[in-house]
Amino acid sequence: MREYQEAGRRFLPGALSPIPFVAELRGMMDETREGPPAGHSLFPASEKIEATPLVKILIRNLDFYYDDFRALKDISLPIYDKEVTAFIGPSGCGKSTLLRVLNRIYELYPKQRAEGEVLMDGENILAPGRDLNLLRAKVGMVFQKPTPFPMSIYDNIAFGLRLYRHLSRSERDDRIEVALRRAALWDEVGDKLHASGLSLSGGQQQRLCIARAIAVEPEVLLLDEPASALDPISTQRIEELIAELKSDYCIVLVTHNMQQAARASDYTGFLYLGELIEFDDTERIFTHPKDARTEDYITGRFG
Amino acid sequence: MRRALALLAGVLPASLMAVVLFLAIYAWPAIRFNGIGFAFENTWNLGNLYANPVTIAGTQIQPGAHYGILFLIVGTLLSTAIALALALPVGIGAAIFLAEAVKGRFRLVVSFFVELLAAIPSVVYGLWGIVVLIPFLSRNVFPFLARALGVFPVFAGPTGSGYGLLTSGILLSLMIVPLIGATLRDALVGQPAELREAAAAIGATRFECVWSVLLPRTRTVIIASTFLALGRALGETMAVLMVSGNALNYLPQNIYAPISTMAAFILSQLDSALQDPTGMAVRSLAEIALILAVISLLINVLARVLLYAAGVKRRSF
Repeated sequence: MREYQEAGRRFLPGALSPIPFVAELRGMMDETREGPPAGHSLFPASEKIEATPLVKILIRNLDFYYDDFRALKDISLPIYDKEVTAFIGPSGCGKSTLLRVLNRIYELYPKQRAEGEVLMDGENILAPGRDLNLLRAKVGMVFQKPTPFPMSIYDNIAFGLRLYRHLSRSERDDRIEVALRRAALWDEVGDKLHASGLSLSGGQQQRLCIARAIAVEPEVLLLDEPASALDPISTQRIEELIAELKSDYCIVLVTHNMQQAARASDYTGFLYLGELIEFDDTERIFTHPKDARTEDYITGRFG
Repeated sequence: MRRALALLAGVLPASLMAVVLFLAIYAWPAIRFNGIGFAFENTWNLGNLYANPVTIAGTQIQPGAHYGILFLIVGTLLSTAIALALALPVGIGAAIFLAEAVKGRFRLVVSFFVELLAAIPSVVYGLWGIVVLIPFLSRNVFPFLARALGVFPVFAGPTGSGYGLLTSGILLSLMIVPLIGATLRDALVGQPAELREAAAAIGATRFECVWSVLLPRTRTVIIASTFLALGRALGETMAVLMVSGNALNYLPQNIYAPISTMAAFILSQLDSALQDPTGMAVRSLAEIALILAVISLLINVLARVLLYAAGVKRRSF
């Protein structure tokens, strides 16, 4: 197990030339699967060692196609558990596309397809025959525009819960309260749970969507420019929320706002024209980028 | 040029006003003579058309003449209600199927056929009703219904000839399904992709997404298209006349019983009414027409306003 943790750490600096190493890691993951199930739950809390993050998702040689257009080119990178990983890059670079692979939401559209491997806890989520609804229960997503459903605040959150679990009414009420508190929304809506979700402000709606996503108790949270449609104050609240939530979730954040990536994330991947140009510690990306294109982008010379 | 075009465009609303206005003026003596009882009495009697007119309350009528259309109001309301009750689930189901289950060219073809249902002249529906629908219903469906649901007096026999309330309702529902189905399909297709993705992202199936997330957002459209359909069903004349059994002064005792509707009755009674030398019979028919026109106008205006508020492109049939 130590080895596995160690592997995650060592993997980090060489993210772009990892092929021999990845094979090694893959082998280890397969081994783990035969024994006890892979994943963070194996480690007792005391053994969680700071600065040795675990790989929650390992993306290997991922290509993505919109019909004939190749939008992602041979992407490989790790995504660590209990950390925030940000994808940045100019419009059309493929950062949202990459996010949309992680819960296979692209499957809604018949002409989109992904090739390669996305290993979540060692299992390839791109494998045919995966139960998409179960995958999406494990991988929650929040979108750019707030997407409250046309029902009450309570029912918005109960909607996802009802799909998976048969809870008693009081259990459900508790779960909804916990989710709203986690999303820092309870104080504002606790006394009007049966008001329409559409009656909330934009920032509140977005936090409602986050509450809806975490009520299902996912392991991974995908945030697709979650604050880009919000005012600065709401944006700040969302960023505070991300910082709080990362102790429980593996968070992947797509943003076109570089300051946001710098503030909110631990790791950053810079994508350009469908390629992963650089992936590293956020601090290193923003202070000592290795690639000239990364530097040009973060200093605002393009994009 | 501009003025000429304005004049041409003005002809349309002006003619609408003129129709309603002249109808009202023409029907006025009948409205005054029949009073409020017109809507609540169950007697339509032209009187003795060969005797000399008599004067009652300052109005010349044929002796024995009396005009009450309760049975028409009941027949119209019931047949329309049955038509809507059948057409709503079918129309909503068809719209969901067209918007979600079929894609691309196949969707276009199937949608086209659904809309073609609305393009068939009503007399064709009527004839098909007489030749195909009525024999089938009266031999196979109605006896079965009467046996299966006979505990409810509404469904108990006798099932009669097949000409009547339920047949009219079924035929009407066929004619209005496309109105509901096509309008709702457009509204569903137009729902934002983010919402579909949000529902899928939380693990909802396609059906759960449509049913719980998209359909509630089209509530206004459902209501509005139902009103449009209601307007069409209320005004439908020929097909209903052909299959309704054309009842006179008779309130239906069960769901198979003959009825008549306001629109059908105007047509079926016109020939006799024209024999009335005092003109009161035709004026009473005009009163029915006026009521029908006003109700239909109100329903259509309401439907358009709702559709406009919901932002759905107006469809013309």
